[in-house]
Amino acid sequence: MKLLGKSITELLELLKNKEISEQDLFNYFVKREKKYNSSLNAFLSLEERPKQAKKGVLSGLPIAFKDNFCTKDIKTTAGSKILENFNPPYSATVVERLENAGAAVLGKTNMDAWAHGSSTETSDFGPTKNPWDLKRAPGGSSGGSAAAMAAYLTPAAIGSETAGSIRQPAAWCGVVGLKPTYGRVSRYGVIAMGSSLDCPGPITSTVEDAALLLKLIAGKDQFDATTTPNEVPDYTKLLKKPRKMTIGIPEDYFEGVDEEVKRKIFEAIEVLKKLGHGIKKVKLISPKYAISVYTIIQRSEVSSNLARYDSIRFGNDRTHFGQEAKRRMMLGTYTLSHGYYDAFYKKAQQVRTLIVEDYKKTFKEVDVIISSTTPTTALKLGEFEKYPFFGEVMDMLNEPAAIAGVPAISIPVGLDKNTLPVGLQIIGNYFKEEDILNLAGQFEKETGFFGIHSQLLKKYPD
Amino acid sequence: MKKAKLSTKDILHLAKLSNLKLTSQEIKKMESQLVETLDYVQNLSEINTTKVSPTNHTVNLTNEYFEDGIKNIRGLSEQQVFQNTKVKKGKYFSVKKVL
Amino acid sequence: MSDYIPVIGLEIHVELQTKSKMFCQCSADYFGKEPNSQVCPVCLGLPGALPVPNRKAIEYCQLIGLALDCKLNKTSKFDRKHYFYPDLPKGYQISQYDEPLCSKGQITIYNPVSKEETKHEITRVHMEEDTGKLIHKDEESLVDFNRSGVPLVEIVTEPDFDNAEDVKAFLKELQIIIRDLRVSNADMEKGSMRLEPNISLRLKTEKKLPAYKVEVKNINSFNFVKKAIEYEIKRQVEILESGGVPEQETRGFNENKGITFSQRSKEYAHDYRYFPEPDIPPMEFNQDYFKRLEQSLPELPRRKWQRLLKLGLQPADAFLIAYDSALSEKFEKLKELSDSTKIAKIIINKKHFNLEQTKSFIKESGKPIETDNKKLDEAIDLVVNNNDKALSDYKNGKENALMFLVGQVMKEMKGQADANIIKKKLLERLK
Repeated sequence: MKLLGKSITELLELLKNKEISEQDLFNYFVKREKKYNSSLNAFLSLEERPKQAKKGVLSGLPIAFKDNFCTKDIKTTAGSKILENFNPPYSATVVERLENAGAAVLGKTNMDAWAHGSSTETSDFGPTKNPWDLKRAPGGSSGGSAAAMAAYLTPAAIGSETAGSIRQPAAWCGVVGLKPTYGRVSRYGVIAMGSSLDCPGPITSTVEDAALLLKLIAGKDQFDATTTPNEVPDYTKLLKKPRKMTIGIPEDYFEGVDEEVKRKIFEAIEVLKKLGHGIKKVKLISPKYAISVYTIIQRSEVSSNLARYDSIRFGNDRTHFGQEAKRRMMLGTYTLSHGYYDAFYKKAQQVRTLIVEDYKKTFKEVDVIISSTTPTTALKLGEFEKYPFFGEVMDMLNEPAAIAGVPAISIPVGLDKNTLPVGLQIIGNYFKEEDILNLAGQFEKETGFFGIHSQLLKKYPD
Repeated sequence: MKKAKLSTKDILHLAKLSNLKLTSQEIKKMESQLVETLDYVQNLSEINTTKVSPTNHTVNLTNEYFEDGIKNIRGLSEQQVFQNTKVKKGKYFSVKKVL
Repeated sequence: MSDYIPVIGLEIHVELQTKSKMFCQCSADYFGKEPNSQVCPVCLGLPGALPVPNRKAIEYCQLIGLALDCKLNKTSKFDRKHYFYPDLPKGYQISQYDEPLCSKGQITIYNPVSKEETKHEITRVHMEEDTGKLIHKDEESLVDFNRSGVPLVEIVTEPDFDNAEDVKAFLKELQIIIRDLRVSNADMEKGSMRLEPNISLRLKTEKKLPAYKVEVKNINSFNFVKKAIEYEIKRQVEILESGGVPEQETRGFNENKGITFSQRSKEYAHDYRYFPEPDIPPMEFNQDYFKRLEQSLPELPRRKWQRLLKLGLQPADAFLIAYDSALSEKFEKLKELSDSTKIAKIIINKKHFNLEQTKSFIKESGKPIETDNKKLDEAIDLVVNNNDKALSDYKNGKENALMFLVGQVMKEMKGQADANIIKKKLLERLK
């Protein structure tokens, strides 16, 4: 039976009808990992066999987790030599919720060390390669998860985003990536990068899969004081009711974007127009300011969150930090230090307020906002070294939504002339994941994402 | 706003505050890299923020607490406490003598 | 010494007696437990762990603020305070910086040694978490995180103390208040109440605050409070008189030698890089909540003292009972049995008796005393003739004066008279 490329929904159907056993399904992916991981380096660690899966709606479904999610008794490194042998005595809430729903941890995926990056090249365990072109980066920091999903080494993956770390690799690898509203999903057990920004989220091949996983992981957590008690909508049910929306197109988000990428985005907008959605020009604060706001806030929080790695209770000593981590800590220490706090950190948080208000105002006029997810398609490996704040520049189209905390999803809308995927992002209002999922789902139904995923899988047969 | 300037002394001070030991090459590189980033972020001075209050949390919550005395379901066993520890002495963590 | 006046401000840390720690559910009762046996990912600072505040701890902090007459702030938040030390697992302490739970308060202290009252200002009372414990050996230091995350209230006073005795009196009163509030056992020896005085000296003629201050740490009992402060004052006087200025620094107190010594490791000024704690949303309180807190306050010692005085107790007796929880409790339970003044004296004289024993003693001594009426009349004459002021006070409506006279007669009778009979006779006499 052909399993290659099947969505979670399809696999769950097969499991339910006992057309395949949980064990066989797990082994299928283990085999694919063993075949392709050496060339992709998407996984850092692999579970040979599943832990006794609990009974639940996911009935034994294997899921890959980015290696910054603590998984009890399974090595968790955050992509860094500091934690190269770290064995957490507890699991992240997101992991527990999925396991309680019946999922099995398939393995841990590669990432930029400490999530500091947009290409997975700063991983202390070697870069992950983009399955579309092994000389290119998969994006980051959830590059391993996106690459594993794209090459179907896993039926679904969980990543995390501080600003772009789910959406950008999803775009560069041609899969679906969803960053929920900040506070929608618990961060407990996710190794912290930017505490006021980090969002765990699903990386999948279909919109329905993303909706299903979001439904299972979202909701208040007693162990994370920043999660909201807002009820979790039945996202999969709401997908079934397509709605007409008013789409905002921000001019400033097209500055600095490659011509080919722009073209694909405009084509996608035409598709949406034909589906009956309204298009409206909107004016948003330029992303060039978002880069500054994000750089300051994130690096300040990073300098604080990495202070606990003193090797006394766990981990290797601080000489094991890579260059990128050191650079970010130093910058963050500077922006928080006495005499500079007001000019940097406080200033950034003030502009943050303006960005939040900007979105709130805009969402009064439109339901969602659309733009390219990234300024370019996947870059060649090694390009990032040219910039001291490469990540922040690459993610400039993702930073505004991350700073504001609103949800956003990236979907594949085409290939460029180098056969590299182009991603389109749909940004929604606070706690309106159902809106962005709905629109994304309509686009998927209409286009099938142009068969992008199955096109890639021709290169990765069983 | 004027261009940022970081001397070797400044870098060493930052490294101390960050609890990082840098090689002399790293210090040299750090000077220019940090300055480049700091110069870019100065573009925020173009935005007027007088009377704008800072956003510390984008999620609109207040008064999130737990009730004293509820059951602790996260306590760690001795084995778990030390399973990642390099140097321990009996039931203690051990560090080289500090003042 | 004569040219200089000490300028002393206090920083007191009180460990709260909640069941759980400040940001996790581990037990806060760590004293004497096996090392590292009461920890979880949160208080051990493991990767990915997050803090959630303990509601009761915050209430307790606000109760302390109320007892110190502080302004309770309607909004408050936590901040991260960064520094590196092995007993600080996250590399930062969650504390409060610019929006503490309680602001400006004040307290009036009665110093039983000098018999004077002084008023002192409280700058702030805020909430934070305790660190782990370090045990120093020869070549290594051992760390125990059982104490990490225990709720800690920090009380800061204005630098308006000028002598060690007042500091001691303040601490004693603070300890009683805190114990009466039942929020901590505030035990200096056990470390649940810690004092760090900031000491400097100014010239008598100078109004401005001195440009330096010296923080003294590691004072582990009330007895050492006076020793440490007085030693430090003397040390600073010597430096100033020889033309120098004491260095701004932190010094430890060596209780064996009775001296303070420099802690060179803290020579550079800390840049704590405070910023608002992103993992914890801010706190907001309304008037209803504050009202409920106020109503839950027990009667504090000073108020009790005033009430006991009104009941007719002698000031010294009233003070003793008001400032001793055990004696207070006995008094409240037994005061109906007989004359308050008498009960007070019995309770004080027989403080080693338990409640039952005290009760029977009162009943025994309550039995009517055979009064020698002739002697009584003589005593009354004597007292009335020698207490003009009390007489006129009574005539002017001061009830206490009557009790005073009764007491004087009782004194003359060497206790061998029934107080009620004395009172009756006096009243007749004074008509």
